[in-house]
Amino acid sequence: MLFLKLAWRNLWRNRKRTLITVSAITFAVVAAVFMQSINRGSHEVMIDNMVRFHTGYVQLQDYRYDAEPSLDNSFFFDDEIRDRVKKTYPETELVLPRIETFMLAGNEHTTRGALVLGILPEQEDAFSGLKNHLADGRFFDPAEQAAVVTKGLAERLQLSIGDQLLLIGQGRFGMSANGLFEITGILDHPLRDMNNQTVYIPLETAQFLLSADDHITALLVHPGGERHVRAAANAFNEEFSGDDLKAYTWPEMMPELLQLLEFDLVGAYFMSGILYIVIGFGFFGTILTMTLERTKEFGVLVSVGMSRVRLGMVLFLETLFISITGVISGVVAAWLILYWFYLNPIELSGEIAETVIEMGWEPVLPMSFAADQFYMQGLIVFVIAMFVFLFPLIKIMRLNILEAARS
Amino acid sequence: MAIVKTEKLSKIYNPDTVPVHALRDVTISFEEGEFTSVVGPSGSGKTTLLNMIGGLDKPTSGSVEIDGTTITGMSDRELIDFRLKHIGFVFQHYNLIPVFTALENVSFIMLLQKREKSEMENRAKSLLEQVGLSDRMDARPKQLSGGQQQRVAVARALASEPRFILADEPTANLDSTSAMNLLDIMEKMNREQNVTFIFSTHDQRVIDRARRVVYMVDGKIDRDEVQK
Repeated sequence: MLFLKLAWRNLWRNRKRTLITVSAITFAVVAAVFMQSINRGSHEVMIDNMVRFHTGYVQLQDYRYDAEPSLDNSFFFDDEIRDRVKKTYPETELVLPRIETFMLAGNEHTTRGALVLGILPEQEDAFSGLKNHLADGRFFDPAEQAAVVTKGLAERLQLSIGDQLLLIGQGRFGMSANGLFEITGILDHPLRDMNNQTVYIPLETAQFLLSADDHITALLVHPGGERHVRAAANAFNEEFSGDDLKAYTWPEMMPELLQLLEFDLVGAYFMSGILYIVIGFGFFGTILTMTLERTKEFGVLVSVGMSRVRLGMVLFLETLFISITGVISGVVAAWLILYWFYLNPIELSGEIAETVIEMGWEPVLPMSFAADQFYMQGLIVFVIAMFVFLFPLIKIMRLNILEAARS
Repeated sequence: MAIVKTEKLSKIYNPDTVPVHALRDVTISFEEGEFTSVVGPSGSGKTTLLNMIGGLDKPTSGSVEIDGTTITGMSDRELIDFRLKHIGFVFQHYNLIPVFTALENVSFIMLLQKREKSEMENRAKSLLEQVGLSDRMDARPKQLSGGQQQRVAVARALASEPRFILADEPTANLDSTSAMNLLDIMEKMNREQNVTFIFSTHDQRVIDRARRVVYMVDGKIDRDEVQK
């Protein structure tokens, strides 16, 4: 207890120095979290858009579909499967059946390759707010012979609301699939690639067009949030293994994107590394001063019989107090600052804003609010502080008590 | 009975460059209950001798024996433990722990010895009473005068119940009254409790009070006198 008291009182011996050190650690954590938050913010927006508008969190597919994404590898879907999904993972919030294929989309004069998605618009909207991205017109009714075309594709084919869209392609098991669809809506899709090539038609109409009655290529499942993804996929894999179905999580469905983002983060990691070095040296400076100032005291304590290990322990406690206080206040401050920016986001302007709007995002600087960045950055700064503590520890272990007592 | 014995103790600093002979074959012993001053001009070797006896420095040759135990070959860890159990130190600059009260400074040594809390507190209080600081137990070093701090240092040195106390220039920073006061206390402890004191000093007041005076010159014992 007296050791604890000694460590605690030593901290308040030089109040200013302690407060400066704690502030330095606090600032370091805030800076590290802030930098991380900005880096991850744009990635999260990207991933979120991909998940919401393309892959979903978890997909059930025929086990052959991943290797050969063909209608021949579609699977039967009915209410019983829907019920089994919900029963298998009761937290499931939404189940979205989709049929997906590539076809030629054309007007009177020209054709373009298009990704045709047969969907249930109400459910899709409930999951991703798809309807909010309608630039013009409306979504179709469930069995209507109608289509919603993404803006990029509509511009390329010079089509607008009320025009007829021709879809030509191949249905299930080589059946020909041709149809004319009235365009009821133009959708400004948030994902640029999809904006240039996607046609939405009603699920039932698509199944009829593609000779795939009651069949779908993917069943998107919203298991109630990111944290449920793995558990849900595992549960579905167990439940549907006898039905030749396999569950994929979103990271499994877009590994290339994740690799790209990882690559993109290299620069950010480098900057973080520089920040950590600056933090480390700042902290080292304070610890160095503190150690040199107290060298004589260390010498006296060892002279009168305090073991070097015990003395090291007292210093460790001091460093621990400072680090923990700094890290906790840093995490709290970072949380408050990020929360403020969450409520009052930094607005982008000029060309950057235009680019971002074009991609379907809000023209604000996206910032991540992920919990792990708070504790991870806090932990890293804490480890740096503990690493720097090795200096006074080594100094104590090598202390020449006579020289120290004379200093 | 000799509690400290040195045998042909030598210390040479910088043996490979410019050798400085701080001690030259010093053989001396100190008996239990002595009140001894080691005196001599600067560079005579008195502090070096005390450092060797206190296990704070290692001799180039020769040996130091305390209570029949040779400490010369001990490891750093063994020496720290030995000092804690057998030797009390009083320094010229008091060297109290600035963040502790007088009571905590005295208790701290006993904490290092892993004594019971109640025993620690009772003994610390009793020692502070003996040095006349019963009303200043909760004061921190900054709140005490130099003389009071040195009295706390004496109480701290006694806390571990050492075999003897080494005091390096204990009165050097004290005014006359404080110095006399401190000497009174140490002398009383020596007479009443048979506490052994070995001083290194320039201070004539200390020399006058000592019952044995060891004069050192050039790293050797020049004279060894017993006073009345």
